[in-house]
Amino acid sequence: MSLRWGELYSQLISGARERKELISASFELTARCNLQCKMCYVSHSVNDLKTKAKELTTAEWIRLAEEARDAGLLFLTLTGGEVFIREDFKTIYEKFMQMGFVIQIYTNGTLLTKDHVNWLASIPPSKVSITLYGASRKTYQEVTGYAEGFDKTIRAIDDLLAKGITTEIKTTVIQGTRYEFDALLDIALQRKLQLGIVNYVSPNRECSHSDPVGNRLSSQELLQYEIHMSEREQQLTAENIKDITKITDAVTEEVMPAKLDVVRLKDTPALAFPCLAGTSAAWVTWDGRLLPCGLLDIPETNPLEKGFKAAWEELKNKCTLIPVCKECQECKYQSLCEHCPARLFRETGYYDQPAPYLCELAQSRSVYKDRMKA
Amino acid sequence: MKIRDGFMLREIAGQWVVVPLGEKVVEFNGIMTLSQSGALLWQVLEKNASEEDLVEVILKEYTIDKETAETDVREFVSIIREKNLIN
Ligand SMILES: C[S@@+](CC[C@H](N)C(=O)[O-])C[C@H]1O[C@@H](n2cnc3c(N)ncnc32)[C@H](O)[C@@H]1O
Ligand code: SF4
Repeated sequence: MSLRWGELYSQLISGARERKELISASFELTARCNLQCKMCYVSHSVNDLKTKAKELTTAEWIRLAEEARDAGLLFLTLTGGEVFIREDFKTIYEKFMQMGFVIQIYTNGTLLTKDHVNWLASIPPSKVSITLYGASRKTYQEVTGYAEGFDKTIRAIDDLLAKGITTEIKTTVIQGTRYEFDALLDIALQRKLQLGIVNYVSPNRECSHSDPVGNRLSSQELLQYEIHMSEREQQLTAENIKDITKITDAVTEEVMPAKLDVVRLKDTPALAFPCLAGTSAAWVTWDGRLLPCGLLDIPETNPLEKGFKAAWEELKNKCTLIPVCKECQECKYQSLCEHCPARLFRETGYYDQPAPYLCELAQSRSVYKDRMKA
Repeated sequence: MKIRDGFMLREIAGQWVVVPLGEKVVEFNGIMTLSQSGALLWQVLEKNASEEDLVEVILKEYTIDKETAETDVREFVSIIREKNLIN
């Protein structure tokens, strides 16, 4: 009668994808944040009252969640900005937990007090996913502008783990964290956790203070980072420590192949998105727009006006019109490339134009691979 | 017997699953899947029902003999009892 969790997860996901039914969504509860990360694609300052005024209210989020549940939504990610700055977060979360979702929370962890952790332990999410912006106060300051955030986040991670709450740590690779892989991995390993690596930093969606492109690694630098990662992984595998990292995408949640030579499966070539976006996954922005993915701001529909179900159907239709990039499809580096319509759009302004940054990265991965073979 | 409060039966992508609600996640970690007939029994058990009621429902819905229906119902009830889902 019951199945193991992993099996069931992939069974549900592939069922939803086949039927083009909604199963997964992110609710971006706020665009405001207590940190000012240099690469952030979304955040506004906590005290930005104009932004605050446009955020959906408690009642609106609750209504949307109910409607999304009735449209099939099961896996719900709560993200921001920083969700813990919403004064009504507790109310919203407790309501959502009564609706029949499997919920995970994305947070920077800095605002998670012992009280929050005790409360979460009494009604735990399936996972708390914390982004750790450095392995020291110095780096944390450099990336987020808030040195003490480092201690606070580490304390939050340890409190969550002590309470038995499933916790994940990940980091987003930018100039400031470029040399921190080993130290971050140590933090993870000391706690018997994997380290998630967000390797792709996307150009801005709507953040006023940040500069993602100016702060991300060049394709060569990123390749060096990945090489270092896989060398370190090999070392640890030799010591029988396995599955220590995963390359992940903080926006679409897609887990990328950790090794450079794994080919991505493209089982639905007719649809431009390689992931679930626009077929079985969606994103609701802080001000109530329904999008296929958080990197994009079009196509969008309006769930508050039309009702969630109708807005979702409309969005799915719009997504079928998104063109596939022919050049990418025919490219010999395609298996080493993490292109998708959202990334191409953010990089080039078109869904179907190759993005030089991604091309360079794929090419340099290929050169490296060939060199290794030789 | 009756399903305890705090669980929701949902049909997700053609598959029946039971999701724990609120504080119930503490004792019931993860989600559980049910077959079509399991989901039918679950729905009946959301209101009060006896084993005989369940057998009756199964016989109405499926063309099987009474003995098989009784065995199936007993098995189903023992599984959800073991998982502490009914009282
Ligand atoms: C926007 S944050 C919101 C949740 C929370 N405040 C946090 O920091 O985890 C979600 C994730 O997106 C990542 N992120 C931020 N800017 C990004 C960018 N330009 N490209 C890709 N990921 C980015 C963050 O590092 C984080 O892992
Ligand atoms: S990445 Fe997260 S913590 Fe950093 S500014 Fe953006 S929302 Fe805030």
